[in-house]
Amino acid sequence: MPEPAGTRNNKPVLPLIYRRAVIDAILKLDPRLMIKNPVMFVVEAGSALTTLLWLQALAGNGEAPAGFIGAISAWLWFTVLFANFAEALAEGRGKAQAESLRKMRQDTLAKKLYLGYEIVKGREPVPADYLEVSSSTLHKNDLLYVKAGDTIPVDGEVTEGIASVNESAITGESAPVIRESGGDRSAVTGGTVVLSDWLIIQVSAGAGEGFLDHMISLVEGAKRQKTPNEIALNILLIGLTAVFLVVCATLWAFSVYSVQTSGSGIPVTVTVLVALLVCLAPTTIGGLLSAIGIAGMDRLIRRNVITTSGRAIEAAGDVDVLLLDKTGTITLGNRQAVELVPVDSTDIMDLVETAQLASLADETPEGRSIVVLAKEKYGLRGRTVGATESGAGMQFIAFTSQTRMSGVDSGDIHIRKGAADAMFRHIEASGNPVTDALKKEVNIIALAGGTPLVVTKNCKALGVVHLKDIVKGGMKERFAQLRKMGIKTVMITGDNRLTAATIAAEAGVDDFLAEATPESKLNLIREYQTGGRMVAMTGDGTNDAPALAQADVAVAMNTGTQPAREAANMIDLDSNPTKLIEIVEIGKQLLMTRGALTTFSIANDLAKYFVIIPAAFITTYPALAALNFMGLHNAILSAVIFNALIIVVLIPLALHGVTYRPMTAEVALRNNIVVYGIGGLVAPFIGIKIIDMVLVLMGVV
Amino acid sequence: MDSKTVPSIILNQLKPAIVLFLLLTIITGIFYPVLITGIAQLVFPLQANGNFIVHDGKVAGSALIGQPFTSPGYFWGRPSATSPVPYNAGLSSGSNLGPSNPALVNAVKTRVDALHAADPANTLPVPVDLVTASGSGLDPDISVAAANYQVHRIARERNFTDSDVQALVASHVEPRQFGIFGEPRVNVLNMNLALDEMSATHIVPSSPVPQGFDFPDEPGLRIPDWIVLILFIGVFVVTVVPLGRFMVHVLKGEPHLLSPLTGPLEHRLLAWSQVNAKDEMDWITFAIAMMVFSFIGILFLFVLQLTQSVLPLNPAGIGSPSWDLALNTAVSFVSNTNWQAYAGETGVSYLTQMMGLCVQNFTSAATGLAVLTGLAYGLSRKSASTIGNFWVLLVRSVMILLPLSIIIALILVSQGTVQTFSGPVIVQLLDPVKDASGAFVTTQTIPLGPAASQVAIKQLGVNGGGFFNTNSAHPFENPTPFANFIEIIAILLIPSALCYSFGRMVGAGRKGVSLLIAMTLIFLPLLGLAIWAELGGNPALAGMGIDQTTTDLQPGGNMEGKEVRFGITGSALFSVVTTAASCGAVNSMHDSFTPLGGFVQLLMMQFGEVVYGGIGSGLYGMLIFVIIAMFIAGLMVGRTPEYLGKKIEPREMAIATIIILIPIFLILISTAVAVLVDSGRIAVLNPGPHGFSEILYAFTSASQNNGSAFAGLSANSLFYNLMTAAGMFIGRFGVAILTLALAGSLVVKKIVPVSEGTLSDHRPLFLIWLVFVVVIIGALSFLPALALGPLVEHLILGGGV
Repeated sequence: MPEPAGTRNNKPVLPLIYRRAVIDAILKLDPRLMIKNPVMFVVEAGSALTTLLWLQALAGNGEAPAGFIGAISAWLWFTVLFANFAEALAEGRGKAQAESLRKMRQDTLAKKLYLGYEIVKGREPVPADYLEVSSSTLHKNDLLYVKAGDTIPVDGEVTEGIASVNESAITGESAPVIRESGGDRSAVTGGTVVLSDWLIIQVSAGAGEGFLDHMISLVEGAKRQKTPNEIALNILLIGLTAVFLVVCATLWAFSVYSVQTSGSGIPVTVTVLVALLVCLAPTTIGGLLSAIGIAGMDRLIRRNVITTSGRAIEAAGDVDVLLLDKTGTITLGNRQAVELVPVDSTDIMDLVETAQLASLADETPEGRSIVVLAKEKYGLRGRTVGATESGAGMQFIAFTSQTRMSGVDSGDIHIRKGAADAMFRHIEASGNPVTDALKKEVNIIALAGGTPLVVTKNCKALGVVHLKDIVKGGMKERFAQLRKMGIKTVMITGDNRLTAATIAAEAGVDDFLAEATPESKLNLIREYQTGGRMVAMTGDGTNDAPALAQADVAVAMNTGTQPAREAANMIDLDSNPTKLIEIVEIGKQLLMTRGALTTFSIANDLAKYFVIIPAAFITTYPALAALNFMGLHNAILSAVIFNALIIVVLIPLALHGVTYRPMTAEVALRNNIVVYGIGGLVAPFIGIKIIDMVLVLMGVV
Repeated sequence: MDSKTVPSIILNQLKPAIVLFLLLTIITGIFYPVLITGIAQLVFPLQANGNFIVHDGKVAGSALIGQPFTSPGYFWGRPSATSPVPYNAGLSSGSNLGPSNPALVNAVKTRVDALHAADPANTLPVPVDLVTASGSGLDPDISVAAANYQVHRIARERNFTDSDVQALVASHVEPRQFGIFGEPRVNVLNMNLALDEMSATHIVPSSPVPQGFDFPDEPGLRIPDWIVLILFIGVFVVTVVPLGRFMVHVLKGEPHLLSPLTGPLEHRLLAWSQVNAKDEMDWITFAIAMMVFSFIGILFLFVLQLTQSVLPLNPAGIGSPSWDLALNTAVSFVSNTNWQAYAGETGVSYLTQMMGLCVQNFTSAATGLAVLTGLAYGLSRKSASTIGNFWVLLVRSVMILLPLSIIIALILVSQGTVQTFSGPVIVQLLDPVKDASGAFVTTQTIPLGPAASQVAIKQLGVNGGGFFNTNSAHPFENPTPFANFIEIIAILLIPSALCYSFGRMVGAGRKGVSLLIAMTLIFLPLLGLAIWAELGGNPALAGMGIDQTTTDLQPGGNMEGKEVRFGITGSALFSVVTTAASCGAVNSMHDSFTPLGGFVQLLMMQFGEVVYGGIGSGLYGMLIFVIIAMFIAGLMVGRTPEYLGKKIEPREMAIATIIILIPIFLILISTAVAVLVDSGRIAVLNPGPHGFSEILYAFTSASQNNGSAFAGLSANSLFYNLMTAAGMFIGRFGVAILTLALAGSLVVKKIVPVSEGTLSDHRPLFLIWLVFVVVIIGALSFLPALALGPLVEHLILGGGV
C-alpha cells in the first residue's frame, strides 16, 4: 500500500526506541502487569519455578543437572522478555507518536474573553475584552480570541470571524485552510496556528479532554481497551493454556505410573514438564497479541487517522457497506462542462464564445470549467475580464437563487446562462418561443444524467452546455476490489435519481442514495444494520452527525464541524474521504495478523510433541526412541530455545501486519492456511533441528 | 413463561416431566418390548427363543451358543475365557488380555502345546482362531482352517479316514452370509453332533464342494471385505437424505409418512402432560426441563435396580446391586453412555432391562436430539429469544426412534437375536468339562430374555448398553454376520442423517452434509488404520507356530477377543464405528485389540465424540468445533468470525472453549487420580502400558459418553463407580447445558447476510480446516497420554513408526 501523502515524518530514532523497549520489557516482568496476559503469566510462573529448581540443583540436590535446569530456566525467562519486548516496542512506537502529538498541545497562553462578552458580528475584540490565561485552565464553552500568529490552544468551534489557519502540525499539509463561523469549516484543533485575521472560538473540550488527548492516551497504551475479537481470542488462548496446564500436570502422574509399571527409569522432572508446558502454550500469539493491537492503532495514525477506540478499527474490518459521499470521494469535487451543443442552426463557435463570455466572471467551478472547455476543446483563448476590447462596457450579472441565472450585459448584448427551466421562462418572457430542438437537447443531457445549462443571447437560445460529474480515476477498480472483499459501496448524493444513477453506473458502485437528506441517510444506515450489516461512512457537515453517530465506523473529516467530529469515532486529519477504504484494510489486516499467528502457534505444537515426548520418557520406555526420528541430542533445550526465538522472529510481522491484498475470503483463508498452518507444522521441525545442531557444535550435550 | 426464577421454573416443569416420564416408560418400556415379543413369537418362534437344536428328541444345545469340547475325539471350539468353566453361558466374557500381556502369550502357548500333544504328527501352523479366546467366550464357530487342522486327530481318534472327516467338515461349512458378510465357518456343536452320528451309523455324508471359495487368496482385505465396506458407505449415501428429511418433518411437527400413526400418539402425550406445543422456551427453561427430566430418570432407575429382586419379571432371581453400582448404572443410561459396570446376565432383571434401561435408551437419545434441535433453532432464528420446547422435541424424537427400533428389532430377531420372557434354559453338555476343582460340569445354563427390542434401540440410540455381558459379541445379541452389519448400520443411521436434518433446519441441507463429509474424512483413515492393524495380527504371537494370515479359510489377524463369524473386518469396523459414534456397543473385546487398534478407538472418543457421535450430541459437539474453527479462520480472512451469519463474539467463544475443556479435563484429571491411588491401580488387568490404557480408556469412555471399555479393568468398585458416574454426568449434562446456553446466546443475534467476504462454511477448504482443528485439538490434548499407552505398547511390541 503506498504511503499516503502527508504522512508526518515522525519515525523515531531507532536505537533509542529499542533501548527503551529493552528496559520496558524488564519492567513489565512485574507479575501484577503480567497477569493481564494469562498465557505469558503462566510462562513467567514457569520461569520462576525452574529458577528455584536451578537454585536447588546448585545446592546439590536437584532433580536434574544444574546446567540443564539453568539453561531451560534462562530460555524461559527470555521467552517472557521477548514477548514483553515486542509489546514495549509497539508501545514505544505509539509513544513516539504521542510525543509528537503532545507537542502540539503544549501549554500555551490563551486569550480568554471575559464572561458576558457580547459577540458583535465583525467586531474584533480589544485587549480590554480578554485576559491572558494558561490553556490548561480553560473549560468547555469558554470563549477565546485568537489572532494572526497565535497558536490555537484547544479544540473549539469558531463563533465569529474568518481566518486562515496552518494545520500542518496535525495534517502535514502545508497549505493553509480557511476557518470561519457557521457552515462546515468552523472546527479548529488545538495546536494549529492562525496565519491571518482573527477568530473567536468557543472551547469544545476542556484541557485534557480533546481528541488529541484521547488519542495520546490510546497510543500510549494506557487506555487501550481490548477489543471484542481480541477478548474472544484471548479466551481461546487461555483455554488452550489451561488444557496444556492439565496435560503437563497429569503427565507427571502418568509418568509416575509408567515408571512403576515398567520398573525402569525415573518420573519426568518438573523442569521438563514446565518446558513442555511453555512450548505447548500458545506463547507465540500470546506474546505478540497486544503488540499486534497497538501496532494496528499505530498504522492508522501513520495514515493520519486518529480514533477514539480500538474497537472502531476492528469494526472497520467487518464493514459490509461503505456509504461514500459522491462529491469529493467518487467524483472530482464539482460538475464540469464536457460539451457545448448548439441548437437552431447556431454556429458552434458563436455558442462557444457566448458561453465563455457568460462564464468569465463566474468563479464557480462549473463556470470555470466552461472557460477551460472553450479553450481546450474549441481553441478559444480565455479573455481576461476588463482587458479585452469589449471588456470595458461589460456588466456582469451574478447568479441569484431567485433568477437562477447569470450572465453579462455589454451594450445591447445580453448574454445569460442558467438552469433549463429558469432559462425557458426567461426566453418565453421576452416573447421568443422555446424551440423543440432546444427542449430535445436539454432532455438528452438530463436523461444522460448530466446538467444542461442553456445559453442565450438577447433572449434567444444558442445552445446548451452539458455539465457532468467526473468520476475520479481508478475508482471503478477500487470498488470492484471492495466487492471482491464482500463490501458493498453505496453512493450518497443530493442529486436527483437520474443523475445519481448515471454517476453510480459510471463509478461502478453497487447502490446509491439519491436526494439524500440527513434523515434518509440515517434511515439507510439503520436499514442496513437491521439486516445485520456493518456500515461505515464519512462525513463532515453538521447534518451528517446523526448518521455518523449511527454508523458502526464513522470517519469525520478534520475540516468538518465539531458536531460531526464528536459523532464520529475516527477523524481523518487529511480530510480525504477515500481514506475509508484504507481504514477498512487496516482493520482486516489487524484481524488477519492475529488469526495467522494463532494458527502458526497452534500448528507448532505437533512438532514439539515429537521432540519432547521421546526425550522426556526415554528412560522409562526406551522404545520411544523410535519417535526421535530427527536424531536430536538436546531435544528439550532446543525446543525451548526455538519457542523463545520464534517470538523475536515474528515481531516484525506482528508490527507490520500480514500483507493485505483484496481478495475473497476463500482465497485469503487458503493462502493463510498454507503459509501459517502448513508452515507452522513444518517450521519447528527445521528450526529445532538447526538449533540442536548449533548446540552440538557449541559442545552442549 | 410467567415467572422467571429458577425454582419457579423447576416447579413449572415438574409436572410435565413426571407425566411424560411415566407415559414414555409405558410406551418404550412395556408396550414396545411386548409388541416385539409378540411379533417375534408369532413370526420367528425358533429364532426368538434361542435357536435350540433338538437332537434325538431332546434339546442338545443352542446353535448359537458354543459348548466346551476337550476330548480329542471332538472338534475343539474357540478357547473360552468364561469362568469358572469355559463356555459358561451364564456369564459371557472375553479374556480381555492385552496384546502385549505375557499371560496372553502363555495361554496361547499352552493351547498350541495342547493341540500338538493331541496330534504330534500335525506340524502345520495352527489357525489363530483355534488358540485365541473368543469375545463372548461362547463363540459357536471355528474357521474352516481350524476345522481342517483337527481332521487328522479326529480321524485317528474315531477310526475314520481323513477324507471321511474332511467330507464332514466340508458339508458343515457355512459360507459367507449372502456371499459377502462375515467369514466362512463351521458350527462346532453341529459338527460334533454329526460326528457322533457318523460314529454311530458309519454313514459318511456325501459332501458337496463348498461354495464361495473361488476368490483368490490374498493377504489382507479380501474382495468380500471390500464389498462390505463399500456397501457400508453406500447404505448411508442412500439413507442420509430421506431419513434426514423425515426427521426434520417430525421434529418440526410437519406432516410425514408416519403422521397417521405417530401424530395422534404425540398429540395425546403432550395433551396428557399439559404441554402446549406452541409454548416455546428460552434456553434456561429448556435446560431446566431437560435436567428435571433427567434427574427423574436417574432416581427412577436407581430405585428400580435396588428393588428389582422383589419386583416381577425376574425369572433368574437376580439380586439387587450395591448402591454405588446402581447409581453408576442409572447415571450411565440417563447420560446416554451405557457404561456397564454390571453384567447383564447376572446383574439386572428383565424388568430393569425393559422399564429402566430400555426406556433410557429411548429418552436419553431423544434428549440429545432435543438439545441439537435447540441449537439449530439458535443458529437459524434471527433476533429471537426462544429455542423450542423441550417436551415437544423430546416426544417427537421418541417418535423418530420408535418406528426405526421396531424395524431393526424385527430384523435382528429374524437373525436369531432372542426375544422372549422365558427364563434360562439348561442343556446337557455333549462333552462335560472339569472345573477348577476337578468336578465335572455337565450342563450349560443359557440365559434368554427380551434382548432384540433392547439391542435395536441400544444401537439406534447410540447407547450401547448390552443385554448380555459381552454385548454384541454375544451370539444372542448379534447372531449372524448380517445382523452384525445391520447393527453397525443402525449405529450410524441417525447420526449421519441428522447432519442433513441440521442443514435443512438452518437453511441448506448441503451445510449439514458437508459436516458429515468432514466427519467421514476423519473416520475413513482411522478405520483403515484399525483394520490394517488388526489384520496384521499380534506380533507377540509370532514365531509360535501360529498362522495369523487372512485367507479364505480363516479370518486370521488378531483374533483374541473376536468372534469367528465377524472376522477381522466385521470386528474392526464395528469397533471404530462404535467409538466414533459414542455408542459403546462392542462385538469384540477392545482390550485385546492390537495397540494401534486400541489407539484408534481411544482417539475416536478423544476427538470429542464428534465424528458422527451420539444422537444429537455428536453433531452439537461438532458444531462447537465448527465455531472454534470458524473463529480462527474468520480472523485469518480479516473479519469478525461468523457461522451461519451469527457473529462469534467473546460470550460464544467462552462457552465453546469451556465445552471443549470439559471432557479433556475430566479424562486427564480422572486418569491421573486413578493411576495415583491404589483403588485406581488395583483394578487393572493388564501389565505395562496396556494397563494404563485401560484406565485412560475407562475415563475417556465415561466422559465422552461412549460406554465401551477395555473391559479387563475391574470397574465395579466404589472408586470407579463414583468416578465414572461423575465423569458421565458432567460430560453429558455440563456440555448439554452449555450448548443450550450457546443456543440462547446465538438466537438473539442478527444474521449477517452472505457476501463475497463471508467465509464459506461448506466448501472443501473449510472442511479440511475443520478436520485439522478437530484433529489438532484432540491430538494436542491426548498425545502424551496416548504415547504412554497404546503408542509405546505398539513400539514395544515391535511395530514400526
